[in-house]
Amino acid sequence: MATTLLILHGLVAVALIGAITHQALATCAPPNTKPHSFFGRFRGIPAARFANAITVLYLASTLLGAVVYLYFKVDIQPNLERDRHWHAMGFLDLKEDFIVIGLGILPAYWFCWHQPASSRHNHLRSSLTLLLAFIVWWSFLVGHVMNNIRGFGS
Amino acid sequence: MSASAVRRFVFAFGAAFGLFYAIARARGLALFTVYPAQAIVLLGTHRSRDVADPVLDFLAPEMYWYGWTASAAIGALVIGLVAALLPGRLYWFWAWCVWIIPPMAMIACVYLTIPWFRL
Repeated sequence: MATTLLILHGLVAVALIGAITHQALATCAPPNTKPHSFFGRFRGIPAARFANAITVLYLASTLLGAVVYLYFKVDIQPNLERDRHWHAMGFLDLKEDFIVIGLGILPAYWFCWHQPASSRHNHLRSSLTLLLAFIVWWSFLVGHVMNNIRGFGS
Repeated sequence: MSASAVRRFVFAFGAAFGLFYAIARARGLALFTVYPAQAIVLLGTHRSRDVADPVLDFLAPEMYWYGWTASAAIGALVIGLVAALLPGRLYWFWAWCVWIIPPMAMIACVYLTIPWFRL
């Protein structure tokens, strides 16, 4: 059961990181980018359409992670503490914290992306998107390392 | 609820959530404590080591993360509702808060995590 949930959590996270990266780059790429360049194509996509998917994927990923965390606490954490993986535990703590803070800004993020593109929310929309992108990337990388920690760096 | 009130609610909620989470994390204010090994949830913050020898802590590991999240969510909900009831001209204040407070809360969490890196 835990393995199935972990794999599902990983798959949802992959979809989420793809969507948020695409949206963040589309938001931040300079407007004078050549239309047929890599960034030009990124900018060309309607980034607003990703907002609903990102919101749903973030919620799903958080929910799955919260369930998997129960198994982690009982079955994995004692082993990590025994092996003195203190830094990994610290990074995982930060992942939990960042994820929850991201959860809090999710309604504001969703709201900003459902306003007209020329509205006064543009700056806030970009900021919240970048913050969420950072949280998702951090969580993805830490989760990946934790998943492979018995082989990572050993 | 008007669009303006929704806007104030979501901005205030996002800002307050980060602030309350950092406070709950720093002060250990979990609404409930989860003991996954025993499948028990207790209201409030509880520590195994307060009732049993610390060396037996691994038998009943406690989890506060869910409780901190619930505490922050309730606090943020109240602040969000209050913000929705306040005048619309305060919009800029809530927009500023949701822009600045979550990153500050993340920095606070980094500070609170430092002990792991000193072990």
